[in-house]
Amino acid sequence: MNRRQKQGYITAIAAVVLLAILPLKLGSHSVLSLLHLDVSILSEMLLFAIAAMSVNLLLGYTGLMSFGNAAYFGLGAYGAGLSIHYLNMNFIEGAIIGTAVALVGGLLVGPFLLRRRGIYFALLTLAFGQVFYFIAYRANEFTGGEDGMSFPRPYFGFPGWHMDLQEGTFYYLMLLVFAAVLVGFWLIVRSPFGRTLQAIRQNELRVRYLGLDSNKFIFVALLVSAAMAGLAGALYGLLIMFAAPLMLDWQQSGDFVMIMILGGAGSIWGPVVGSLIYVIGKDIISTLTQTWQIYIGALFVICVIAFPSGLLGTLLNSIARRDVGAPISEEAAPHKARESGAPAGNAAVAAEQKES
Amino acid sequence: MLSNVAPSVFNGLILGAFYAFVAIGLSLIMNLTGTINLAHGSFLTLAGYLAFTLVSKGTSFWFALILAPLLTVVVGVVIERLLIVPLYKRDPIFSLLLTFGLSLIAEEVYRLIWGPNGVPFSAPGILGGGISLGFMQFPTLRLFIAVVLAAAMVLLALFLWRTRFGLRLRAAIQDTEMISAMGTNIQVLYMVNFALGMALAGLAGVLASGLLGLSPTMGNALLMPAFVVAIIGGMGSLFGSIVGGLLVGLAISVTTLFIPAANEVIMYILMAVVLLIRPRGLFGTEGLFG
Repeated sequence: MNRRQKQGYITAIAAVVLLAILPLKLGSHSVLSLLHLDVSILSEMLLFAIAAMSVNLLLGYTGLMSFGNAAYFGLGAYGAGLSIHYLNMNFIEGAIIGTAVALVGGLLVGPFLLRRRGIYFALLTLAFGQVFYFIAYRANEFTGGEDGMSFPRPYFGFPGWHMDLQEGTFYYLMLLVFAAVLVGFWLIVRSPFGRTLQAIRQNELRVRYLGLDSNKFIFVALLVSAAMAGLAGALYGLLIMFAAPLMLDWQQSGDFVMIMILGGAGSIWGPVVGSLIYVIGKDIISTLTQTWQIYIGALFVICVIAFPSGLLGTLLNSIARRDVGAPISEEAAPHKARESGAPAGNAAVAAEQKES
Repeated sequence: MLSNVAPSVFNGLILGAFYAFVAIGLSLIMNLTGTINLAHGSFLTLAGYLAFTLVSKGTSFWFALILAPLLTVVVGVVIERLLIVPLYKRDPIFSLLLTFGLSLIAEEVYRLIWGPNGVPFSAPGILGGGISLGFMQFPTLRLFIAVVLAAAMVLLALFLWRTRFGLRLRAAIQDTEMISAMGTNIQVLYMVNFALGMALAGLAGVLASGLLGLSPTMGNALLMPAFVVAIIGGMGSLFGSIVGGLLVGLAISVTTLFIPAANEVIMYILMAVVLLIRPRGLFGTEGLFG
């Protein structure tokens, strides 16, 4: 185990422990209640972090600008909601069905998305994401249309044992899921598959010359991303006991991309930090003022201009001179240079040699 | 049958002309700088509200029709120079996110200034009536809109294909660096190009607010179909955007007539079919944008 790996384990354990003790009461107060925050905000933070991680897999690691991940997120929420409302599914079944529905969405849309790269890919994700929005919006006898649908949160459990999920216990369940997703994500990006995705980001042409079918890798990455976003969406639906078309909207997708950029793309912790800032910041601002959208928008603008590799990325880069925000930092080639492959690819290879 | 279908075909074509118009503005900016301008719809709405304010302050509709797009161009270019220019060198995701942030801010600002609900804004009386085409009555306003949009498209085409500046602009889309090396000030190209996009958005905004109703989200409602139109027509092709726009408008109006529930999904089906048969879009150039 090298030093960096050890640092990674320590950060992960410290973060999970910190998140676990946040809602605990000391006397009559907890850290949360002192900040006037509800424990469900923390659940929301974790779920948005998972959704942002799903964008990160595509954008940060594979170099594909996905601006449609809210579609899978919303499909997850509707999958859970519809199966609970109409089929009386329990908690676990609802979550699984939600994830599966999102996965099916990815399977349907994926083959179209694969046909293009670059900003064309971004446009396609944006456009195809809206299909599901309009379906949810239009099928109003079934989904409640514009108003959305509310549904109860079923018991959590297995045959023979079950428990009622209050906001507190729900949060700990989410923390468990989050930790599992984090470990899974870490294993994926470290695996040969994950390495190939990063190679595609640096130079897809070269990957193809090496005999690997980059389309297959991208397709699998899309499916993994869809499943992650779907899981997050299903659990978010179960958290707020509600599903609405706005969860599928491109503005929601934009939020996920922004959360990822806020923390730092291409790093495991970036989306988590981004989610912490975004969800809690939004909660605080929206209690202070009605026009919170202006401040969120301004946050986006400032972050894009001043912190191109994200807040966490900028911080880490300045401390350790690590290249956290690498994939979409200043050096990224403009879209036209990327097409020819060579200049961008060589720069990336050179950067990698320097790193090792 | 004819009296039933003909009006909706005409209305569909006019809706399609709007989509084409917005798509051309988006494409101009996208082709040259790789910026997906998610704030395009916000500029459209801005022009509508500016025209509304001008008219309610007592100016004539015709004056507002010219001045509001010009003001939108000024606002747009200032924002481009200050905020978007520094991002041209970076990955396109940053300008995408920046314009996304701008559209969030704009929507809320419009709500603050002009209220959350739509405001009444109608064209002058002379455009109010209808013109008889023999088999149907056709609203003058829609005809007027069609004429203005068509005239603007012809002017744009003349500018791009019959002037030296247009030539440089088209050349820069193919190779920005080479054009820069040959002595053209690339920043001026970027600026004029963005201004063109804003002018188109502005004009569409004023005209659309008379037809679709002026509300803070009017522009964004036109934005998504415009993206679809750009994909169907083929990125990098203005002619493609026009054909794609008319096609989508037609498809929507005909679907509305027969299967109303599917009228929004139809354009995505169209897009999927085009992508399957011809991934670059109907008139797109292969290789541009991957």
